[in-house]
Amino acid sequence: MNWQNVKWILLREVRDQLRDRRTAFMIFILPLLLYPLLGVSFMQFSHFLLKQPSRVLVVGARQLPEEPPLFEGERFHPSLFSEPREADLLEVTFAPEEPAAGRTPPPADPEQRRQWARRELEQGGFDAGVIFPADFSVRLARVRQMAAQRPPAGEPGAKPEPVPSPEIVLNSSKAKAEITAGWLRNALRGWSDRIGDATLQASGVPLAAARPFTPLLEQTPQDKHRRSARMWAQLFPIMMVLWAMTGAFYPAVDLCAGEKERGTLETLLSSPAKRIEIVVGKLLTIMLFSVATSMLNLLSVAATGLAVVRVMPDVGPPPWQAWIWLPVALVPVAALFSALCLALAAFARSTKEGQYYLMPLLLITMPLVLATLSPSLELTVGNAIIPVTGLCLLLRTLLEGQTTTALTMFAPVAAVTLACCYLAIRWAVEQFNSENVLFREGERLDLTLWAKQYWRERGQTPTAAAAAWCGVLILMVKFFLSLNAQLPTDFAQFAQSTIATQLLMIGLPTALVAAVSIRGVRQTFLLYWPGVRPVLAAAVMAVAFHPVVVSLQSLVMWLYPMGPNVEAVARLEAIIRQTPLWQLVLVMALLPAVCEEATFRGFILSGFRRLGHPARAVVFSALLFGFAHGFLQQTIITCLVGLIVGFLAFRSGSLLPGMVFHLIHNTLAVSLTRVDVELRKQWHALDWLLSPPGDGGLQYRVPVVIAGAVVVAVLTAWLAVRSTDPWAALSLRSPSSDREDHSP
Amino acid sequence: MIRVDRLSKHYRDLRRGRVTALNNVTFEAHPGEIYGILGPNGAGKTTILRTISTLLRPTGGTASIDGFDVVADPDEVRRRIGFVSCNTAIYDRMTGWEMVEYFGRLHQLPAEVLTDRMETLFERLKMNELRDMLGAKMSTGMKQKVSIARALVHDPPVLIFDEATAGLDVLVARSLLKTVAELRDQGKCVLFSTHIMREAEKLCDRILILHRGCALAEGSLDDLRRAFGESDLEELFFQLISRHEETEAASNSGGS
Repeated sequence: MNWQNVKWILLREVRDQLRDRRTAFMIFILPLLLYPLLGVSFMQFSHFLLKQPSRVLVVGARQLPEEPPLFEGERFHPSLFSEPREADLLEVTFAPEEPAAGRTPPPADPEQRRQWARRELEQGGFDAGVIFPADFSVRLARVRQMAAQRPPAGEPGAKPEPVPSPEIVLNSSKAKAEITAGWLRNALRGWSDRIGDATLQASGVPLAAARPFTPLLEQTPQDKHRRSARMWAQLFPIMMVLWAMTGAFYPAVDLCAGEKERGTLETLLSSPAKRIEIVVGKLLTIMLFSVATSMLNLLSVAATGLAVVRVMPDVGPPPWQAWIWLPVALVPVAALFSALCLALAAFARSTKEGQYYLMPLLLITMPLVLATLSPSLELTVGNAIIPVTGLCLLLRTLLEGQTTTALTMFAPVAAVTLACCYLAIRWAVEQFNSENVLFREGERLDLTLWAKQYWRERGQTPTAAAAAWCGVLILMVKFFLSLNAQLPTDFAQFAQSTIATQLLMIGLPTALVAAVSIRGVRQTFLLYWPGVRPVLAAAVMAVAFHPVVVSLQSLVMWLYPMGPNVEAVARLEAIIRQTPLWQLVLVMALLPAVCEEATFRGFILSGFRRLGHPARAVVFSALLFGFAHGFLQQTIITCLVGLIVGFLAFRSGSLLPGMVFHLIHNTLAVSLTRVDVELRKQWHALDWLLSPPGDGGLQYRVPVVIAGAVVVAVLTAWLAVRSTDPWAALSLRSPSSDREDHSP
Repeated sequence: MIRVDRLSKHYRDLRRGRVTALNNVTFEAHPGEIYGILGPNGAGKTTILRTISTLLRPTGGTASIDGFDVVADPDEVRRRIGFVSCNTAIYDRMTGWEMVEYFGRLHQLPAEVLTDRMETLFERLKMNELRDMLGAKMSTGMKQKVSIARALVHDPPVLIFDEATAGLDVLVARSLLKTVAELRDQGKCVLFSTHIMREAEKLCDRILILHRGCALAEGSLDDLRRAFGESDLEELFFQLISRHEETEAASNSGGS
């Protein structure tokens, strides 16, 4: 790579972007204006809200007791509010009680009274209303009187009848109805307390006996400071990621799709600059803009924030750590999103198409980012290795001032982030090396034509796209099945749902996609006899791998502890323990071994084989295999199993070794549920294999796990160096030769 | 200088399935010669020229410039060519001077050499008024001038013009053809694709007639006239193409 060329490209692109008024505005001017404007309008809006009192209609307030007072003139009594000026926020109108011209007085019947009040609220444009029942004042007076005449000691007093409550009604068409109702409730509650206090005083009961204490919220300035630090710590990482993404997106679209649209890309490609130099030059430009946008936004928010802090005493300034860590973290975040945006934008034919890709990018990023808003999600090893989320969590932890915790997690977060950056950049480079992408031409969408061509050109084995579609279909069916999932109560139900899952979710989509997309069933589903040795090797590997899988399972459980709802698993285990083993093996081992192998190692692996590199095919099929399985913890383990089984299929050129592995693996898993103290007494050999019963579930002894891992490694190596190349031996033809054979 | 040997290019298209854009095309072009590629729209002219410019990879055959293969040594090939096509636009937000200077820098010309060359080029192509004009403000003819200056800035031995007169008015097209002829006289090897007979007749030393990816005839104008007994190039072209279409139709109906 010639860095001189990268420099020229970078300089040109930056100058080009700066000369574009729209980009300059979006990236430099908008952030500087946006937050101060938002801050000003927010403050004005809150002033406006404060100045605009809510209108309240009060029905039946004529004979309310004078003491303690509920009203003072046309407003509630200020002493009822914690902040006396809040009384001005409620503008009170009393409903007329006497019949007047064209007006009916409020009826006495509670339901009719309510109806009447609602009508009045609507017509008068009130926000909310308070309805005192017709006999409210009379009954209140009666209760107070009874309470004041205390019976002599020892005699049971007459029990006072409860006073009917005043009701608060909302005019739900008004925006402020809810908030007004809240104020009204506080005012009435305060008034009720005062009446109670007055009554108690009248009857000679000391107030301290009735209300011995009132809890106080003690807050030091430090608490307030920490609270606002936490708020900034949650806010800043999310904003930074979103800024970095949008800051990268628009320049990326202009630099790739825009250049394609304007026809300058071909000029650049025919220049001596290498593709990689072009990609790096453009990537650095996009990164520069991404970083610049984020930094400007950050500064603008901070300036606005500091101004707001002066006005709003509850909010503290952003923590000082933000000024160190945010710029540091910004570099990898900007690199990641710049590369992603570059690849997406390179794929787009026009700026318009490029802009469509913002939505999917947002849809993938938002959940990863917003997850960090949840206070329960903490920086653990498991969360640290989730892309983007881990980085946001790390930042949050740093900004909260927990530097030690954060630094221990620095390595995994950095590793994952750098790996993601690397992959994204590679993807971008690949896009620039693909002439299909660079010289893509618009084609009219014609489904019939497309279907005809698809049918005509389907090959012996599926395309990678067909494999991916099959996977997507499986995941979709899984989603809809999981919506209707119910916990089985007995084995019959469990077996039913397992068989339905295998057939509907895995078998059916594969069969459907295969029916329209392939000619060669045998080549696709690898229906070949691999020889005895690979089958034996698979069987031994399955047995040897089991101890490894069990210990990996507990590692995964430690990394990602099970949520409470997943404890349904315990119930399943109970059902499984009560069922005859052969039935379990049939449903949980044999059926999946056939269905899942045919799908994931047959159809999907055959499709991904077209991607060129066998490792890619194995990894992608394993990933889909993993995601088709339940929850996260299961997915991780299944992915791993998928890698091994995929490797078996790849090296043996047959589905059979994988099926044998899968069958034995699942059989061992269900058999392990049968191991209990009784069985251990009968079979002492089990004590050699398994650690003593403890609370961590069944575990193999460490030497057994190590031995298993060694056996798996040795057999894997043997399979890898076996001189035969089964995929080549299958004479699997390339897509183009497939088509040539069948073209008319 | 330019050697193209059994060059083929296939790609997939939704409507037509597997498309053969080029089918075993072979030719050679030498310094001091304008080699014309004549064909109707969709004949494969752009595909040949894009392959020679290393923008596309051939699916079969080879192409080389000055002994450098387009697949094995794309960088060396690009260093030796200047590519002007109706698809190679100029940057809207750059002035004529900046645009040419940028490509000169990508060719790693030393600063003094680059300035000297650009002064000469701007003088020769009479484009001094374009120095400080932004690309967006230029007319089609002005843009074409900048494109040519951009392609000539590193003084390449091979120049490739792909339908370079498309969209130009008569005056500008004429001056472009004049420039191309001058380049030949300077000893450059020029590849010139067009679908306009008159241009080919006037300019090209040798011609390749291309139709649906197949080379139908090749040679100097006189060779072609003699071989097909037809003095009018347009007539000759039309006959060749209709004959090719007939044989194609016959082989298709016979084959299925």
